[in-house]
Amino acid sequence: MQKLKVVLLASLALLAIVFLVAISTPYWFARKHDAVVDIHNPALIKKGAYLAYAADCAACHTAPHGRPFAGGLAMQTPMGTIYSTNITPDKKTGIGNYSYGDFERAVRRGVRPDGAALYPAMPYVSYAVVRDQDVKALYAYFMSSIKPVEQRNKPTTMPWPLSMRWPMALWQLMYARPRAFVPNKAQSPEVQRGAYLVEGLEHCGACHTPRGIAFQEKALHDTSSGVYLSGSALEGWYAKDLRNEGLGLAGWSDHEIVDFLATGRTDRTAAFGSMAEVISHSTQHLSDADLQAIAHYLKQLPARDGQSPHPILGVDTTTAKLRAGDYRASGATEYVEHCSECHRLDGRGAPRVFPALAGNSIVSAEDPSSLIQVTLAGGGMAKTPHDRMAFVMPGFKQLKNRDIADILNFIRNGWGNRGSQVKARDVARMRQLIDHEPLNYVPEAHND
Amino acid sequence: MTKSSRITLSVLATAILASMATLAVVHARHTPDDAPPTPALKVKDSQGTVVGSYRIPSDSQIAALPDGKEILYGKRLLNETARLLPTHVGDGLNCNSCHLAEGKLGAAGPYINAYNTYPTFKSRAGRKVSLTERINGCFQRSMNGVPLAPDSREMLAMKAYMKWLAQGVPTGDKVDVVNAGKIDTSLVPDPVRGKQIYGEQCASCHGDSGEGMKDQFGDYIFPPLWGNDSYNIGAGMARTYKAAAFIKYNMPLAAGRNKPLGQGGVLTDQDAVDVAQYFTHQPRPDFPGKINDWKNQKKPKDARY
Repeated sequence: MQKLKVVLLASLALLAIVFLVAISTPYWFARKHDAVVDIHNPALIKKGAYLAYAADCAACHTAPHGRPFAGGLAMQTPMGTIYSTNITPDKKTGIGNYSYGDFERAVRRGVRPDGAALYPAMPYVSYAVVRDQDVKALYAYFMSSIKPVEQRNKPTTMPWPLSMRWPMALWQLMYARPRAFVPNKAQSPEVQRGAYLVEGLEHCGACHTPRGIAFQEKALHDTSSGVYLSGSALEGWYAKDLRNEGLGLAGWSDHEIVDFLATGRTDRTAAFGSMAEVISHSTQHLSDADLQAIAHYLKQLPARDGQSPHPILGVDTTTAKLRAGDYRASGATEYVEHCSECHRLDGRGAPRVFPALAGNSIVSAEDPSSLIQVTLAGGGMAKTPHDRMAFVMPGFKQLKNRDIADILNFIRNGWGNRGSQVKARDVARMRQLIDHEPLNYVPEAHND
Repeated sequence: MTKSSRITLSVLATAILASMATLAVVHARHTPDDAPPTPALKVKDSQGTVVGSYRIPSDSQIAALPDGKEILYGKRLLNETARLLPTHVGDGLNCNSCHLAEGKLGAAGPYINAYNTYPTFKSRAGRKVSLTERINGCFQRSMNGVPLAPDSREMLAMKAYMKWLAQGVPTGDKVDVVNAGKIDTSLVPDPVRGKQIYGEQCASCHGDSGEGMKDQFGDYIFPPLWGNDSYNIGAGMARTYKAAAFIKYNMPLAAGRNKPLGQGGVLTDQDAVDVAQYFTHQPRPDFPGKINDWKNQKKPKDARY
């Protein structure tokens, strides 16, 4: 009995110490650094507006049909739903009372003015490398050009004990340490600029870099492991490999990458799902020079060990068979019936209208999540001024899991593509995920 | 193992189980994890009484049928008419350029009731027309070409596909599906406005000059809407309100979430009438057989001759 008491007391003491360490981090680990910022400086505001596009703030902080930057967008996590917050300068419900120090600490360190840790759904791990002058420009922009909207933040749906925020401070101690952008001096200033945007404001790694057991990104910049931007699955989507290798960007020219980021499509492919949002809210607004810089940076990310530095595309025997009426391959009949009207017998679709399936890396990606999701739920292109129309793929939930799996295996291995087998139960699982997607929460705003 | 470590272990185990239970509760919501069966459509007799039901069949059933090869050939001919029957198709169109989704889509001229409806009286011909004649009418008008021999392998194959699609619905009965959607024919078309709508909603695929879009083999992905490679003035689609009814419910493709092609739902009746007036009246081939149309019947107001 005596021993039990000792164990219990020791455990409690340990817990208390851990708790005290966690709640005290705002005072020693993520201290506030105030500075005077002229929030009415027009040049600073203009720069901040551009950087807010680069940081893709609107993608999360503006809900569909919601007021700009008033929050309320639902984000699904395994533990529950998180809602983005109101970052308009409203004094009651937004960030109107934030000093520059409060703002800087939230953006780069993930700590609220009350000391609570933000969930890493806010990409402060990436924003950590954003330079002081850029954070100041963002502050000026948000404080003086965004219209305040009174709209309360919605609490997360995480059940207790998962809803407690203090353990997040421990996570930050491990994975969100302060750091600065380290340019690779061997690279051209353009590639360095690309790296700065990709690693920081654009936070590409938040989706495209695999995450570890504690949900931390396995790398925050390019390292010898090559894990950075090598593709990752999140919320039922697979964000593709962006390295210059087989199923990454090896088959993409710099021009195509720029075209894709500026317009949401190329002659061969189109962004859908979350990437269409990124293009709508962020990359289409970037300067050509910055998009070039991003493209050049991505194209110099070397292939990982064991990965081909060339695009993977075998010989196309599918087109000839389908054109000759040979539908004997599993899934071929269903492909012709349901898909070929748009994606065509040659799997090439129509330039800037229907994406090609042949040689499309998202089609044959090792992780088929995005392919399954877009097939079931559909997807839409980003709307940009470059193209007159933004096309939509309707979902095919009316098809049976078995048929969808057969079709996907057909296209994953047709026209020279090489992909692993999708199973009917993978499709069933995605159906469940889509059916339980949280509704985007868009509360009524109180003022105009 | 000491007593205290056993206790620690069981405390830990309880904590882990409790958090797993919490997660299980979060994930317990369940909905059906496969698609529902294809919805049944009503089958009605000539009096409008419901006499049965019908489900659009899936092409995956064709291969196993005794005449599967013929049905499949018919389906291919309907899908890829211009490529497979170049001596009979005079323009760049396929049957399924208009009869979308392999003739399985309501309001897009489905073939669903073709086999059980013909022969039937057609006012343009002023007499009863057989299914063979109806199909050949398309070859001469919409495909600006020459008819197939009635007993040709190709004609029989296309009819075999339509027979299969009818799924045994008896002649005279009809599946409850519309050939064309409703359009307000009292609207006055404005081709100037139509041209603007064409540029915004049609030209991305059909081209600024109505020239369509071709694939790597030179076959049309999107059919040309006027010019020498388009349908002639004898086609139903050359008529403003017929074209408008098609456009309103079916165009553009991939415009939204309507199943199965993301079709339609963008234009109002007036938009559709305006754009139809604009492009149907662009230059297109003549139809010599027009002298026999509506000889003893009242012409519709959008007839071209």
